[in-house]
Amino acid sequence: MLDRIISEAPRFFTYYNMVFLLEAMGRTLLMALIGVSLGFVLGFLLDFARRTPGRAWLPLRVAATLYVETFRRIPFLVILFIVLFAIQGFRFPVSLFGVAMIAICVISSAFCAEIIRAGFDSIHQTQWDTAAVMNFGRLQTLRHVVLPQAWRVILPPAFAFMVMFIKDTALASQLGVVELTFAGKVLSTRGFSAMLVFGTVLVLYFALSYPLSRLGGWLERRLAPSRGR
Amino acid sequence: MTYTFQWGEALKHLPYLLEGAWLSLALAFLGFWGGALIGLFGAVGKVYGGRLVYRIVDIYVVFFTNTPALVQIFFLFYALPEVGILLAPFTAVLIGLVLNSGAYLTEIQRAGFVSVRQTEIEAAEVLGMSLAQIVRYVIVPHIAKTLFAPLSSFYIWLVLGTSMASIFGVEELTGRAINISTTNFRTIEVFSVTALIYIAITILASAVLALIGRYAFRVRAKIF
Repeated sequence: MLDRIISEAPRFFTYYNMVFLLEAMGRTLLMALIGVSLGFVLGFLLDFARRTPGRAWLPLRVAATLYVETFRRIPFLVILFIVLFAIQGFRFPVSLFGVAMIAICVISSAFCAEIIRAGFDSIHQTQWDTAAVMNFGRLQTLRHVVLPQAWRVILPPAFAFMVMFIKDTALASQLGVVELTFAGKVLSTRGFSAMLVFGTVLVLYFALSYPLSRLGGWLERRLAPSRGR
Repeated sequence: MTYTFQWGEALKHLPYLLEGAWLSLALAFLGFWGGALIGLFGAVGKVYGGRLVYRIVDIYVVFFTNTPALVQIFFLFYALPEVGILLAPFTAVLIGLVLNSGAYLTEIQRAGFVSVRQTEIEAAEVLGMSLAQIVRYVIVPHIAKTLFAPLSSFYIWLVLGTSMASIFGVEELTGRAINISTTNFRTIEVFSVTALIYIAITILASAVLALIGRYAFRVRAKIF
């Protein structure tokens, strides 16, 4: 086994194979980055919708809660298939990468909404009330009172979440999006030893997520929220 | 914009899909308990073991939590045959899930162990409790309380993760949905029904876990 890997290694680690793998790695990172960024924006809106006051906004609250609870209970693979077939069924002109991005954003917005909710829940209700007494609007309270404190709670899990998404995008290989896992499958079907190919792919995934995990852990220790209420 | 929904075509196969859902739950159950066992040894090793044991466990945890489960299973399924180890799809997926959840559960259980304060163990020792009694009456109740929420949400995550098995031809819920949709082409309907079944079984699992938590460990668990 080992001598096979050693004999194949020079043929495998050629310039073009490496460029192919690194480009695929870039696409994996890009998908996770876009997913998390858009997920945070959408998740923020979802959480804001869930916090609207009064009876008039009740349908919006119910819809937002339903969205978050639903999409956290469906496997990413199934969402990928539904988005793919819905887009093909209705003949929207969207590329496979676009399909994967839509599926990622659907899931990541639901998960981000939960992270953001935990962050905002860490800010005590009295602070909202105090700000209201001082004649702050809801958006002003958010911007000047809540966000400056909540980001410390939101940021560390956001990194764990980013790592989770780097790993989940591996499933997009099932659609044929050329990301890291798909690149591994392509190289392995070209006849390279699966051990060599998937071993390399695993190492590359590790190189991508490990620094982020470490950064997240470091931030978690550093930003441990001071319990000022 | 021309797609006519035919829900009947999907609902016709509901019993077949539900059988698959059962297999999904079973796979998650096996993966969870296998992982819990590895996690228990891992956590004990990390907390009470020496420097070397800590290092080894840490490498295992860091490696498995930072690479995709899908690629790990690819490795088990496609690369191990090169050294003469042939795994059936179900076995490969199960081993992959067990190794993966073992890594996560090591970290979760370690957090539980750390939550038991040294002073409480010393107090129990002073009261003349044996090691077995300390474990039974001091450590386990503590760990159960702190760990219940993360463990049950991990179990749900694992149920969703079993959908990966379909890629290797295991006929669990997603695998069966793929089977049906490739024969009748009602893909949107079949996968929507599948999604609803996943929602139903995860809510069911959450509810069962919350009940167990409430009556066995006196943990106030939320379903949502």
